[in-house]
Amino acid sequence: MKKLKFYIKIYFKILSQDIKSRMSYRSDFVISMIGMIFTNAAELAAFYIMFLNFPSVCGWTYYEMLFLYGFSLVALTPMQCLFENNWNLGGYVRRGDFIKYCFRPLNLFFYYFSEIFDIKGLGQLAMGIGTLVYTWHKLQLPVSPLILLELVIALVSASLFFIAIMNFAAGASFYLINTGFLIGTMSKFRDYAKYPVTIYSKGFRFLFTFIIPIAFIAYYPSLVIVRPDEISILTWLAPVFGIFFFYMSYKFWMYGARKYSGTGS
Amino acid sequence: MKTMKKTGKQYNKINLRAYGALMRSGIMETLQFRASAIVMLFGNIVYLVVIYNLWKAIYASVDTPVVNGMTFNDTMIYLVLASAQFTFMEARLVWLMGWSIQDGDIVVQLLRPISYEMYNLFYIIGQNMCSFVATFIPTFIIVEIVTHGAIPIGVNILYYLIAVLIGSLINFAVDFFVGTICLYTQSIWGINIMKEILVTFLSGATVPLAFFPETLHKIVMFLPFHAIYNTPLTLLIHDDLPIEQIADMILTQFVWLVIVLVIAKVFWRASERVITVNGG
Amino acid sequence: MPGEIVGYLGPNGAGKSTTIKMMTGVLEPTSGEIIVNGKVPYKNREANAQNIGVVFGQRTQLWWALPLVESFKILKDIYRISDKDYKDMLELYDSLIDIGDLYSKPIRQMSLGQRTLSDILAAFLHNPSVVFLDEPTIGLDVSMKAKIRNFISSLNQEKNTTVILTTHDMGDVDALCKRIIIIDKGTMLYDDDIENLRQFFGAYRTLKVNLNRRNTEVTEKMRTEQLSMVKKILSAQFVNIPFTYDTEEDWVSILIDESRIPLMKVLSYLQEQTTIYDVRLEEISTESVIKKIYENNEKDRKAI
Repeated sequence: MKKLKFYIKIYFKILSQDIKSRMSYRSDFVISMIGMIFTNAAELAAFYIMFLNFPSVCGWTYYEMLFLYGFSLVALTPMQCLFENNWNLGGYVRRGDFIKYCFRPLNLFFYYFSEIFDIKGLGQLAMGIGTLVYTWHKLQLPVSPLILLELVIALVSASLFFIAIMNFAAGASFYLINTGFLIGTMSKFRDYAKYPVTIYSKGFRFLFTFIIPIAFIAYYPSLVIVRPDEISILTWLAPVFGIFFFYMSYKFWMYGARKYSGTGS
Repeated sequence: MKTMKKTGKQYNKINLRAYGALMRSGIMETLQFRASAIVMLFGNIVYLVVIYNLWKAIYASVDTPVVNGMTFNDTMIYLVLASAQFTFMEARLVWLMGWSIQDGDIVVQLLRPISYEMYNLFYIIGQNMCSFVATFIPTFIIVEIVTHGAIPIGVNILYYLIAVLIGSLINFAVDFFVGTICLYTQSIWGINIMKEILVTFLSGATVPLAFFPETLHKIVMFLPFHAIYNTPLTLLIHDDLPIEQIADMILTQFVWLVIVLVIAKVFWRASERVITVNGG
Repeated sequence: MPGEIVGYLGPNGAGKSTTIKMMTGVLEPTSGEIIVNGKVPYKNREANAQNIGVVFGQRTQLWWALPLVESFKILKDIYRISDKDYKDMLELYDSLIDIGDLYSKPIRQMSLGQRTLSDILAAFLHNPSVVFLDEPTIGLDVSMKAKIRNFISSLNQEKNTTVILTTHDMGDVDALCKRIIIIDKGTMLYDDDIENLRQFFGAYRTLKVNLNRRNTEVTEKMRTEQLSMVKKILSAQFVNIPFTYDTEEDWVSILIDESRIPLMKVLSYLQEQTTIYDVRLEEISTESVIKKIYENNEKDRKAI
């Protein structure tokens, strides 16, 4: 407990300094923020245009689909904000610079990710919450403390899945050279997370559930809220799976880091 | 006067060889990343499957097989090929320019006996050709097999190749223009993502332009971006277009190419001073 | 010995950084055991890190975008340095070196020398018992090198910190180290006081001859030709006496073991055989001593 407090203190110390220094380049910050909003606005527009031509997808209405989209935006935010440094890992490993993280009296995984907090992810979070609130209202979903608790649990476990996927993709660079493209490809998969997994054929449903579990980023957890009477067993297992999957990715990452930092120059 | 002309010609000759070398270096460097090409191809195939399932589900929700003049096959082929085309055109020029501006390498590049624009153009052409062969052609073949030859093979391939060449050049000019903006800001990511979104959305790579509502469609047609994706892909998928329309489309593309090239060049010339002022 | 500055030398690929990684707990030794401050570093990497400081030349461990003083404040929390110790350390820094304007400067705007200096300051900040410096003066100009050497030396004296220094720069060794360890291909070739080393090789002196007229331009080809000519002359006359040859600018240098043959004898014989325009005599430098050790090791290796 004392250790946790210590780590939280360090994290916020670094975070506040980082934000302070970033704010001194205000135009960059504004441009990144606009870029983030742009990305999400274009996706919303694509949604809108699609549903102008078609009334529903696989029985899912416009607002239900929009709910999935908003849910995925919120669920993707922790990766975007807290684990952004995964994107730089391949470069550090290739240039032999990763070693510089190995000399602090702190957990390596924690210390590495504490270096960057990607503030523009908050733009995405705002869009996601906005979309959720809007569709919640349109779908006339009930509001109760229990449902909100379920929502939070569902969002946290969904986040863990995506972070874990990216940890695996980035951590691969400890084991194999030139795997920079892997993380790009994996992050593209998140675009498919916003569709109900029922649209896929059996094989792909299996792939997206158990191999590259993007179905857990939005579909399974959000069933609790949108379609309580269609809940799959996987929905209830999502938090457990999420923690387990994240823990595995942590172990994979750490083992690779220890192994690598010995050999690389 | 005469001697001036002669040296000018000689200079060009030397440059041609330099351009060839640059193209080769672009190709060689791309070939270094064979594994990445395979994964990108795999990514495209997964995308193909996702798009197939998604649009099948979407089309299943309406009673008519044709929506806005597009059948399910049309839409799917269009989107998958657009994605494949995006993969080979996305040459990261904005990043390359942004990085070289930030770490000052650009000064070295400006000292080369080739203009900076040409240096980048030929390097990118090399890369583009390489990934065209490595990702677009395999994707094309897979689509052709999966759809039992739904893409017509005939003179439309030729039209496509012409249109895609012009489209690539327009894309290059847009990238070069956006890359130049990096002289004024540190935020390469923000600049690049805005460009990427604008280009892919307004060119019809995310949702086919045929589905766009009337007004938006009109606006998009007044912008150069549709010439990058929509024109080549339309020419590839439809072999029943009247020749006047084909000529009209390619001509429009060409006009756009000239306009964007001029804008990019003028902007670059005006901005080059920033480098000398800041000392790189 | 605690409080020593130990020079840790060896050619590229000798295993210097591997040893440092093992001592810092980053890498597990494949065999044998390492004890730092009574602990096994690999098993307690985080605890071990509390008592060591590490600087890798040219690779800053500080926060790229932050001003130095902000990095210090974060380190203060990470290493749990008390307010008093922190204040004392900064006062010590101020008394040793003039860095007032460096504190507010972000690392990314610093020159390489300033960056290295900052990293050294940061490595000593939590008053560790051992500091590892990996090529701290690499790529720096002469005045910065001197500044950094002085600083390391005075910190070592003030805080009695053990410093383990790897370097290729003999200037570092001469200025800082009392004891040196030389390794090559993972084996230790030498571990002793640097003075003993010099004495041991004290019988050696370097004879430098210039075979060129003043103001002639000496090409690379002429240099190698002259070198091989001198080699040929001497090895024909003094059979079984090993010399070490080298060229340096226009000079051919011959390292002579005077316990086996007087230097003057070599010089006069050489003068009989060829025209010498200029002569210099030099005591053996640390650099040549180390070179000699490598060479002997190579020979032993071949002999086996």
